[in-house]
Amino acid sequence: MNKYSEISNKGQVTATKIRLTFAFIILLAIFAGLIVWPSAPGWFGKFKVHLGLDLQGGTHLVYQADVSALDAADKKDSVQALRDVIERRVNAYGVSEPVVQTNFSGDNYRIIVELAGVKDANEAISIIDKTPHLEFKAQGGSVFNEEDTAMEDEVRTQAEAILKRALAGEDFATLASEYSEDANSATNGGDMGYTTRGKNVPEFDTAIFDQLQSGEIAKELIESQFGYHIVKKIDQRLNDAGEVEVHAAHIFFQKANADLGNIVWEDTGLTGRDVAKAQLSFEQNTQAPIVLLSFNDKGKDLFANLTTDNVGKPIAIFLDNELISSPIVNEPIRDGNAQISGQFTITEAKELVKNLNLGALPVPINLISQTTVGASLGEESVSKSLLAGIIGLLAAALFMLIFYRLPGIISVIALAIYALLNLAIFEIIPVTMTLAGVAGFILSIGMAVDANILIFERTKEELRKGRSLNTSIENGFRRAWSSIKDSNISSIITCLILAWFGTSIIKGFAITLGIGILISMFSAITVTRTFLRLIVNKRLENKLGLFGVKNVKE
Amino acid sequence: MLKNKCMYNIIKTRKIWFGISGTLCLLSIIFLAIWGLKFGIDFTGGSLLEISYTNQRPSVEQVEAALAPLELNSLKLQPSGESDYILRFEDIEENTHQSIIDNLSAIEIDGVPDNTLTELRFEAVGPVIGEELKSKAVEAIIIVLVFIILYIAYAFRKVSKPVASWKYGLAAIVALIHDILIITGIFSALGHFLGVEVDVLFVTALLTILGFSVHDTIVTFDRTRENLFKNQDKEFDEIVNISVNQTITRSINTSLTTLLVLLAIYFFGGETIKNFVLALILGVIIGTYSSIFLASPLLTIWRKGKS
Repeated sequence: MNKYSEISNKGQVTATKIRLTFAFIILLAIFAGLIVWPSAPGWFGKFKVHLGLDLQGGTHLVYQADVSALDAADKKDSVQALRDVIERRVNAYGVSEPVVQTNFSGDNYRIIVELAGVKDANEAISIIDKTPHLEFKAQGGSVFNEEDTAMEDEVRTQAEAILKRALAGEDFATLASEYSEDANSATNGGDMGYTTRGKNVPEFDTAIFDQLQSGEIAKELIESQFGYHIVKKIDQRLNDAGEVEVHAAHIFFQKANADLGNIVWEDTGLTGRDVAKAQLSFEQNTQAPIVLLSFNDKGKDLFANLTTDNVGKPIAIFLDNELISSPIVNEPIRDGNAQISGQFTITEAKELVKNLNLGALPVPINLISQTTVGASLGEESVSKSLLAGIIGLLAAALFMLIFYRLPGIISVIALAIYALLNLAIFEIIPVTMTLAGVAGFILSIGMAVDANILIFERTKEELRKGRSLNTSIENGFRRAWSSIKDSNISSIITCLILAWFGTSIIKGFAITLGIGILISMFSAITVTRTFLRLIVNKRLENKLGLFGVKNVKE
Repeated sequence: MLKNKCMYNIIKTRKIWFGISGTLCLLSIIFLAIWGLKFGIDFTGGSLLEISYTNQRPSVEQVEAALAPLELNSLKLQPSGESDYILRFEDIEENTHQSIIDNLSAIEIDGVPDNTLTELRFEAVGPVIGEELKSKAVEAIIIVLVFIILYIAYAFRKVSKPVASWKYGLAAIVALIHDILIITGIFSALGHFLGVEVDVLFVTALLTILGFSVHDTIVTFDRTRENLFKNQDKEFDEIVNISVNQTITRSINTSLTTLLVLLAIYFFGGETIKNFVLALILGVIIGTYSSIFLASPLLTIWRKGKS
């Protein structure tokens, strides 16, 4: 009460202050209006509404990263690296503004991917997780059991039978095309073309370079680690470099234990993430597509060690846990280059190259949650939310007009400014609008109106007690303040907890409601008070009906 | 000065209000004990698929036949809108999801050509996430309650006569628990009879109601605090009754404006948040009731017990 009389005694100064505040509010409203206006000129035009997936359609994916194999210290970094790889892939897929986030809660390491406006979620999912997990493994030892031994005997018996027929003079090429398990040469009658020493398994080289004469078939089966070969030397010549080249053919029988399920492959630590660059190429002889790899520094060292330790032994290349090739190491490779020759089609090889270049997933992932909203449902939700918002605002405005008359009009103007400021802030921050977010915003309108109701009710009470209009209004604001403050602070506490609790839906709700409450403190108090102060004058003292109170002046 | 012509004696008639609240709470507990709650897939894990056909939706039998080869567990079909379906089933792999869409697209209805299927919405939630959300939801509600009681105790710290300041907080919390219990009870009944599910949004609604209801209660208590300072000579019961009456118009008007807005969202807003808004509507009504008829009368009986 005393505070008010002080203010009013200052007269002219107060009036200036009120006008200044008024001007400030108007400027702020214009500023907010320009930001909200979608086709505003210049700088203002770049702000736009960010619609959530439920409003514009899109896919929300949650992946669990399997970090069980990693050291505790590495987990976070690996998942960050995983996030980067996924982001690169998603970007390559061409989605506008994809969101890829890591999410750590307790022992759970997760990646959240939000793709807006995706028409085919299935394609997006396959881009993200059906990409190669490339691993290089070394031989740890073979496991034999009786069954394998029996199968191996069977293979050997068959091979020997064919060898007898070949030696007896049956056509080598016919036998090869009928029985050979080397798919590359079988169709050519077992013909392997010219080859130099060192390109084949050692047992094979010994036979064709050191033992056989041209035109001769080896009398015994040649056994290599892969299986049994019936070998025929066709011809020999010197090539341009002066090396001996042998033209040979073979009929190949695969060993049971060469079927690699029985070899224990051990992790070497070298994986697709150590690949710096992958490139598509073709094998000279067969024109089969191969993939050339160059490793990064870490990969180069690992690969050099690996090849040094495994000279004469195979190393295996696994793609998504499937063995695609197991070349024999002839000599240590220190330049960090390798090649993969699996039985690729060109498309497969191209795909592998692309994905290796995008980066293989450093950690295996598992899709644990998916939400996809079709664009049509989103559009429907937007128009419905807009309609609901407008109807809600109008209903609240109408109620205020009927119940509180003149102050009601002012609170409606304040409410309009409130809505404008809110939308502008949503665009500036930016806050992504979801259905729940819209609900939070609309609910905050209710809270904004509440502050005015508290004030006006208090003002009415003061008027009924016979106080002057000025005093009543100022008292109304002052006395209502503690209620407004206490109740809004408790709501803000709830919002903060909700934002923390947050899955994205709830966060959206809490953030818009929280921002709404904060702005409502400004609009319902500063804006309403300034406007009321500006229009209240002596003439209104006799028209208390405008404030919803009968004139009770004595 | 504080006399008002049309004053309702809410404190004197408190036994009636306690009776009403007690009955509602008891009914809610019974509903919850018998029927429990129907949890949505975000808590239980599972999948939800909403599809729309351009012309006419196939019959339930046709859809079931189309999906039979996929052997989906706990499949539930619910026709919705004019030519839509909502399907619920176990948590599935992406491949199965695609097969479902393919099979459903292939359904043909005699005499209805060009009946294209549109996938409106698909959600698949793994069981791990569901469990996590459940415990997080309970955590959040408890933390909100604790913070609110702390805040009220702080806000009313100067008022310790004749009722200790923490009792204001406690009265507000009793009112809050009353609100939450009744709303959950109503949703238990809605779940039993209409299949309404309780999901993450429902928890959000509960938390919002906590905020809203305490909003109302604080305004009334605030008035009591003010009147206690001004009228040291009056009986506590009378002061509380006067305060409730002074704030009743405000409480009802505020609830009405908020209800107007919520009703607008309920009738014109999106289908997906309908139950969420329903929970909020119930919350506003019950929250307003409890702040007028429960929280303040509670203060007066605690005073009684003391003297």
